[in-house]
Amino acid sequence: MHTKSPLLEIKDLSVSFKVFEGDLKVLNGVNLTINEGEKVGLVGETGCGKTTTIKSVLRVLPSPPARITGGEIFYRGRDILKLKKREIPSIRRGEISAIFQDPLTSLNPVFTIGYQLQEIIKHSLRQQGIEEVSKKELKSRAASLLKETGMPDPERILKSYPIQLSGGMRQRVCISEALRVTVKLLLADEPTTNLDVTIQDQILRRLDELVEKRGTSILFITHSLGVVRHLTHRVYIMYAGNIVETAHTKELFSNPLHPYTRGLLKTVPKLTGEGVSEGIQGRIPNYLNPPEGCRFHPRCGDKMEICINKKPPLFNQGENQMVACFLYGR
Amino acid sequence: MTEEIMRVEGLIKHFFTKQGTVRAVDKVSFSIFKGETLGLVGESGSGKTTVAHTLIGIYEPTGGKAYFKDQSLEKDYSGRSKNLKKEIRIVFQDPGSSLNPRWSIKQILELPLKVHGTPVNRDQMKRITELLNMVELPPEEYLYKYPTTIGGGEKQMVAIARALATDPSFIALDEPTSALDVSIQAKIINLLIRLQKKFDLTYLFITHDLSLMRNMANRVAIMYLGKISEVAPTVDFFQKPLHPYTKMLLSSIPVISDDEEDLKPKKVISRGEIPSPVNIPPGCSFHLRCPEKMAVCSKIDPEMVEIEEGHTVRCHLYADG
Ligand SMILES: Nc1ncnc2c1ncn2[C@@H]1O[C@H](COP(=O)(O)OP(=O)(O)OP(=O)(O)O)[C@@H](O)[C@H]1O
Ligand SMILES: Nc1ncnc2c1ncn2[C@@H]1O[C@H](COP(=O)(O)OP(=O)(O)OP(=O)(O)O)[C@@H](O)[C@H]1O
Ligand code: SF4
Ligand SMILES: [Mg+2]
Ligand SMILES: [Mg+2]
Repeated sequence: MHTKSPLLEIKDLSVSFKVFEGDLKVLNGVNLTINEGEKVGLVGETGCGKTTTIKSVLRVLPSPPARITGGEIFYRGRDILKLKKREIPSIRRGEISAIFQDPLTSLNPVFTIGYQLQEIIKHSLRQQGIEEVSKKELKSRAASLLKETGMPDPERILKSYPIQLSGGMRQRVCISEALRVTVKLLLADEPTTNLDVTIQDQILRRLDELVEKRGTSILFITHSLGVVRHLTHRVYIMYAGNIVETAHTKELFSNPLHPYTRGLLKTVPKLTGEGVSEGIQGRIPNYLNPPEGCRFHPRCGDKMEICINKKPPLFNQGENQMVACFLYGR
Repeated sequence: MTEEIMRVEGLIKHFFTKQGTVRAVDKVSFSIFKGETLGLVGESGSGKTTVAHTLIGIYEPTGGKAYFKDQSLEKDYSGRSKNLKKEIRIVFQDPGSSLNPRWSIKQILELPLKVHGTPVNRDQMKRITELLNMVELPPEEYLYKYPTTIGGGEKQMVAIARALATDPSFIALDEPTSALDVSIQAKIINLLIRLQKKFDLTYLFITHDLSLMRNMANRVAIMYLGKISEVAPTVDFFQKPLHPYTKMLLSSIPVISDDEEDLKPKKVISRGEIPSPVNIPPGCSFHLRCPEKMAVCSKIDPEMVEIEEGHTVRCHLYADG
């Protein structure tokens, strides 16, 4: 299905945010790899650092307050964190593309959708060395990108301002932006949360095609474990700035190991209609003074003495699963 | 649970734009009963938010009628009585942008109290504390915080507290948890269910998450392109879906176990152009995507028919009832 050579390798990434009260130590040594042509899911509680992770890859973290305090991010063997400022835009609008979480904030309210899409297409063409494009050509390219996401009447949408679209429509504008030909790695931050499931299904199939035909790799951030199960080859589970488990998607659902992953899977509302569970007890830690040892220990039903003092590394469990929990190694 | 609290009859909301008339809500009719949760699901852009916004008075309807306990909802917010404004409240789709970032949580909760006349300052403070306790945010910790410094789940709790401030009997919940993870979602949903029982609240609950809908709503209404295509009690809706769009919807739910997979109708591949609300096709608006369409479907718009008590559908396959 996919080759094994890594396209993106995040190693021990640590990021903190300086705020009035002190340093928020958010990412705490994140390790995550995406191979060529692979669809990878990233799941975790609100505020666990998913968006911060992809913003680090894209080098768009606002700094200050953000500070990368450790780690490396290799894209095709090159450390992105060592790129010079002027080299950054070239990765961001060329090979690596992102769909950001909040479509309202990533679209500019004062320009029409058409104008914004055309600017991006122009830029992307320039990267391929094409400077001269007619207005008409740009317009038709923008319209066809919108069509690819199943957007009704692209002509109207191109002339509209973001505020005139429904939530799901805005999201599709951002998705179409990311479907450009040159994209090698797509970082998609909750791209389908505002869409009904039939459109979601159409878009996921479209993303599948991208992977099949162009060998694009995808990192898919979502709260929908159902989508993860359908779309991805492999999953990373994140808790409070750490990767706590990774496995092939099938294994993760049939054999979740980390106490957090288990809690998470139990919380998903089911079609079988057993009601809505109470959720995992407690809440995500304060990043000013995160717990020592395993950051999950204050909420963990299985915690042991060692969990309070020592940070669990990722232990191998079988060939395709790793888990950061002392229940599985010392 | 049979007292009708809201009745919507042929409600229309059109937007007049340079690109043409957007028929966002096009003759929608439904009732909501006291103490129930009516789920509203459907296509992105089908008009769910517009329905909610029209009911709470952000928009004035273009046509049709809506009543809340016999009071007409024909005017927008500026023309409504104080009592009506107090009774009908909303929690918005996006917790981030619906709270003013420059106001502390105390200020955010003060505003509806001022507008609706909780008199003395001391009473106000008492009420704010009470509201925060209702949504399980410790007041000492949250009163003076700003929206930017709290998480998405907490923001939505504040938005719920703001909606509760006027002691309403009806709340429209527009995708209140779609931006949150399942664990925080579970907390908010359980909180909403507890509040509903305690204050006998009626909810209009909009979501794309059908698994959540299954566990939250008493009845479900499906919208497609500005119209309602099916209404049913939740259990019937999942067990005996009638409308082809409903079947497509149910078969596309991404679930997490094989048990659930078995409950879904046979996979209906979703394809085809979604028509535009500016240019609604003649006949049934779903015919362009419908796997079961017949000759009549592209010509005549079907009428709503009742198949079983409380289960209605708008589709030519069921024209004879
Ligand atoms: N600009 C910033 N300034 C201060 N703190 C920040 C900033 N950006 C993020 N954080 C903090 O970093 C933590 C992780 O945020 P992030 O947005 O990465 O979470 P997430 O996993 O994407 O959550 P969600 O599921 O809600 O999108 C949060 O606690 C947040 O408060
Ligand atoms: N202020 C406005 N001006 C013009 N058109 C609008 C406006 N608000 C909404 N619309 C249009 O009305 C239609 C319905 O939008 P609405 O936001 O009600 O959809 P929705 O069902 O809530 O969708 P979603 O699930 O994506 O949130 C869309 O075609 C949208 O473009
Ligand atoms: S390491 Fe300990 S505290 Fe952390 S999840 Fe495992 S058992 Fe629980
Ligand atoms: Mg995020
Ligand atoms: Mg909406």
